[in-house]
Amino acid sequence: MGKRVLLADDDQLLASLLDFRLKKGGYTVHHSINGKEVKEYLKNDMPDIIVSDIMMPYFSGIELIDYVRNDLNSNTPIIIISSAGNEQNVLTAFELGANDFITKPVSPTELLVRIAREIDK
Amino acid sequence: MFIPPKQIKISLITAPEFNLEYLWWLTILFLVLSVIYFVGVFLIRNKITANNSRTKAKKVEFSPMINEFLFYDDSITKEEKMNYLNLKVQIRELIKNKFDRHVLTEVLLDLRKDLSGQSQQVLINLYKDLGLHHDAYEKLGSSKWQVVSSGILELTTMEVDEPYGLIIKFINHRQSTVRKQAEIAVVNLKEEGIKYFLDNTKYKIAEWQQLKLLDVLRHKPNYTPPQFGLWLTSTNSHVVLFSLRLIKYYSQNNAEQSIITLLKHKKKEIQAEAIECIKDFYFVNALPTLMMVYPKASHDIKIAILDAIGELGSASEIPFLENLKATERHFNIKGKVISTLNKINPESVLPTKNISKIDFYETEQEAIEEKPENELLETPQEPIVTTEVEEVVVNSDKEEITVEAPLSLPDTENEAVNENIVAEDEINSTELSTEAIKNAEEFTTPQALVDEQPYEIDLSFLPHVKDIDETNEVAEENIPEDVVENEVDEFVVDFLPLVVEEIIAQEKDEIYAQDSLEPTFILDNESIIDQTEFTTTDTLDNDLSNEDLSIDWTSIISESDKNHSDNASVEPIVKIKNGSVSFSANFMPEEELETMVILENISELGDCRELGLLYDIIEENNSELIIERANELIEKFSYQSPRPNDLLGEENSLALSVFTDIYHLADKETKLMLLKEIKIVGDEKEFRLLESIIDSESGSLAKEAIEALSAIKSRLSLPIVNEEIKPTQDSIFNVNFELEIAKKAKKNIDNKETGSTLFDQLCSMSNSLYNKKNG
Repeated sequence: MGKRVLLADDDQLLASLLDFRLKKGGYTVHHSINGKEVKEYLKNDMPDIIVSDIMMPYFSGIELIDYVRNDLNSNTPIIIISSAGNEQNVLTAFELGANDFITKPVSPTELLVRIAREIDK
Repeated sequence: MFIPPKQIKISLITAPEFNLEYLWWLTILFLVLSVIYFVGVFLIRNKITANNSRTKAKKVEFSPMINEFLFYDDSITKEEKMNYLNLKVQIRELIKNKFDRHVLTEVLLDLRKDLSGQSQQVLINLYKDLGLHHDAYEKLGSSKWQVVSSGILELTTMEVDEPYGLIIKFINHRQSTVRKQAEIAVVNLKEEGIKYFLDNTKYKIAEWQQLKLLDVLRHKPNYTPPQFGLWLTSTNSHVVLFSLRLIKYYSQNNAEQSIITLLKHKKKEIQAEAIECIKDFYFVNALPTLMMVYPKASHDIKIAILDAIGELGSASEIPFLENLKATERHFNIKGKVISTLNKINPESVLPTKNISKIDFYETEQEAIEEKPENELLETPQEPIVTTEVEEVVVNSDKEEITVEAPLSLPDTENEAVNENIVAEDEINSTELSTEAIKNAEEFTTPQALVDEQPYEIDLSFLPHVKDIDETNEVAEENIPEDVVENEVDEFVVDFLPLVVEEIIAQEKDEIYAQDSLEPTFILDNESIIDQTEFTTTDTLDNDLSNEDLSIDWTSIISESDKNHSDNASVEPIVKIKNGSVSFSANFMPEEELETMVILENISELGDCRELGLLYDIIEENNSELIIERANELIEKFSYQSPRPNDLLGEENSLALSVFTDIYHLADKETKLMLLKEIKIVGDEKEFRLLESIIDSESGSLAKEAIEALSAIKSRLSLPIVNEEIKPTQDSIFNVNFELEIAKKAKKNIDNKETGSTLFDQLCSMSNSLYNKKNG
């Protein structure tokens, strides 16, 4: 069984594509389409890495970082994907404890490399 | 409101009879229509929802297939390969259906936005392999502009360049959305697209579109931009503007002459962009054109030109800027001119506005010293800074300078004095100023100093003071050191060569001649600055080493005390005798002091309404200082209330009339009212104003002015000269006769005023009310 990746993205097409690529890369992927699902999942299980879109219904990527770092006190690596790579978002994400930040359009292969690097750390 | 019974009866009779059966039919009809409407909405909504669900389901169905295609790898097993081939067959079957093909295109377009790198390229290839671009071709032939636009967008997104020849036709499409989409497509699909676009576009290129096109060019991999200077000659000014921006972005500085020529373009935007390019590329050759264009340029362009001159200019542009400084009326532009001057020649223009004169503080201080308890003057709570060294004695090793009085000079005299100081010029001004300020801080109270201070103080930092005639001679003839020494017999300075620029000296001669002031000695910041204007050749290292100069303080004190007690205004005088410099003080009379305080208060709080008072002050006072200050304030307030230059005579005599300012700020109707008032209450003060109106205005204003002038003159029993109204300027809109209503029409109007219909009566009533109200 490969490393577990929590993929949180409301864009089902992209999520499906990344899911496919990650599975092909040897990871076990759990896909959540909104913040509520992510929260429910994290209450019961903690993945090896979280890949989350910054804009999600109910629970944004920034809130997710805060929740994982402060409420769950977890050091699980978090990679944030955002279509709007404005400086403030990036800074806030890093301040709250995100490990990496990728702006769309995303190269699935590049994402795979980044995930591998974060997990290896 | 009362309605006659007859009318009520008529209205009841004429009311239509309504069959109640029709009412029921109408009700049923509207019910049926509303049911149809709601059913229609329900069906359409359901159809859209169903369509969305179906699309969503199809997307879910296509998604794994696309994933397989995107991440297909040759190094997979045979079974996986078979699976891949099956998928290909399956997807080809699916896209035979138009709806499926539409959904698949949508999925691919969505993913194209989210993916980059190799996956993106695979996606584009898949789109082409499946032949989905043929649908986009078909869209280009549609008669609906939105379909055409979406077709162009699809082809651009999927980078299909085969229909390039079709898309370029839409560059000049009348529908702006199609046109803009085509522009982006043309620039995006082929490298030479930008050339075609700039060559052929006939329409405006919006700012946002320019940004988008630039963004497309920026993201083109391995893009080599063409020489955009080629399009600076385009007949489409938007192309010229866009080209200038591209030239600036790609730093193509090989179109210097074209860009300089564009400074003369009629469009402000192009001028501004050309100036930006000139600044960026440092085209110094553009300076003459910039200065040539300046007078007729708009406000913004003037600022931009000045900015460019500041960047590129040198000393040769200073006369132009000095001229502008003197002539430019607009506050912002004048400020920019000054900042440009200072940019080229740092600190060539010093702050002047709202800077109080030194003597203002001095007089206040003296007043306080005279009557500290009575508090004669209520001066504003401002820190009093004395920067003058008023009584200083130099006691260097070998020299002594005798200064005979505390100094308090009027400002004009101070300036003259500062210029009189021949900085024997080897003075290091920086050192001098620092020391002078230090010493000044120590001697802020001259009287106290006179009472307490020992009479020998280190004055080595002070400039030497010479008689004006000697200075002039030295300046004019530019005499070398040894000659100067021989001629200046009273105040011998033999330490360093003196070099004075001839022009500066001549200017100073003129000032001296005008002011006819005696040479005086004063040291303050201004004098220090003034000294720097003289050309110096050495420092003061060896100054005062060979001469014995002594300051006779006793005479200063005695004279100053006497003057002080007499309260007389004495011109400051410096006497130079055998190496000693003697001064006499200048104390302002109490009355003048009060007037000065009033003037300063006016300066702080007043506005153009104080002009009358200021003129009165000038008339009532003989003191040059007061007159000068009052004139300064008049100038200041006159600037606040701009008036035509031709009306501001040399003596500002127009301002004698209280109506002048109001008149020039008023509209025509108010002017007429003012002239009527002048006619009733005016006196001889209004003559100049009325004459100027007669000279400069025409028509009713001039007529009214003539009448007013005649009325005042007759009232004052003065001879009346027949004034003629200036003929109006030739214009087809100017008529020199009264328009008269034709008799027939007038008759009709007269009849209508007393017409018999209700409307006529109402009209006549309102007219009579209006006439009554307006007298």
